[in-house]
Amino acid sequence: MQEGDLRARFRHGDPDAVRLVYRSHGRLVYAVAYKVLGDRGLAEEAVQQTFVKAWRAAQSFDESRELGPWLAAIARRVAIDLYRREAVRAADPIDALPAGSPALVATPESAEAIYDVWEVRQAVEQLPPDEQEVVRLQHLDGFTQTQIADRLGVAVGTVKSRSFRAHKRLATMLGHLRE
Amino acid sequence: MSTPDDDRITYLSGEPVDALTPQERAELDELRTLLESPATWEEPDAALEDRVVNAITQEVQRAQSAPQEAPAPQKPQKPQKPEKPEKAPFWTRWRPRRPAIAFGGLATAAAAIAVALVIALGSGSGTQPLQFAMVVSGTSLAPQAHGNATLTKTESGWRIELSATGLPHLANGRYYQAWLKNPAGILVPVGTFNDAKKVTLWSGAPVTQFRAFSVTEQLANGNPASSGRRVLVGVAHPVH
Repeated sequence: MQEGDLRARFRHGDPDAVRLVYRSHGRLVYAVAYKVLGDRGLAEEAVQQTFVKAWRAAQSFDESRELGPWLAAIARRVAIDLYRREAVRAADPIDALPAGSPALVATPESAEAIYDVWEVRQAVEQLPPDEQEVVRLQHLDGFTQTQIADRLGVAVGTVKSRSFRAHKRLATMLGHLRE
Repeated sequence: MSTPDDDRITYLSGEPVDALTPQERAELDELRTLLESPATWEEPDAALEDRVVNAITQEVQRAQSAPQEAPAPQKPQKPQKPEKPEKAPFWTRWRPRRPAIAFGGLATAAAAIAVALVIALGSGSGTQPLQFAMVVSGTSLAPQAHGNATLTKTESGWRIELSATGLPHLANGRYYQAWLKNPAGILVPVGTFNDAKKVTLWSGAPVTQFRAFSVTEQLANGNPASSGRRVLVGVAHPVH
């Protein structure tokens, strides 16, 4: 389906089109929301609200623009609204403030930081699965290359070469290295 | 012999490299920090797709049944300008954020929270009961299910009035169980029932904290734990 057709069908609430837009952009929208809110439940709530707001505003969407950044902008606003709502809730005199409440621990991320996450996530999702797994184990889980090799049952040299290839791709996709 | 690019890639992958300048290290450290961020890797719940589709389907139905309240789009509006910041070269774009700006942001946020505290405390003395509401959507186990609920604080606890369609009547040892969950994942049972068309549930746990609502299908087999077979989900929002 062409993106223009997809947008038109999305605007009419066609469930298949909503599903397609969610599948192509849902995880990126979730990444934006999670970056702002740092909480799975709230991030999922933000995703749902983002898509509903996007549907409501679809008529005014400039078709010359890409859908992704538009959704990211909505997601950021929705997530910050939720963040502020949670902060206001901290003033509730009836119930105690839960540990880890956004009101206690952080301020909303800047637009720049949000888009950095969007771009990095997009780049990571384009890596081949075996390279993506190595990068995840290295950076998110903090494993050494030897530990990754043990975990995956491959030689350390294989991990090294996958890691190098993956980071080279990331650097290229993100434009972070001098040619 | 390694090239400067190889050195950067090696450093990015977490290996020690001596040949980089402090500035190069700082730039690459920012990218490493992003790669370490859970936001880069976290996956949403698989049921979220159905929830999004159901939420929009309900919006469409609502707009069709009440055209005067139809959502915005009928009037052409000025296209929104993209908020995406212009891309600066990597060397400047990935510069560490200046502490002064960060502290400025903190001060602004602290002021906003202080104002919010004053407003919230000031309005807390009203006579209106504290009330939340939510739209509930069916999961992949019950994609046709949908409805809504209101959650009202009373002297006895939180009264939850659920009204949902698209779920079959359960009997003969099968029943529905409703739950509330807080952000830490603690699950509190709030009642069992056979039919979701109109049901009143009660929670002793505060909805202000336990806002994620779900309904599971259960078997009366002596095991009170959640079966994990969620058929209906929603998140409670305060009613303003």
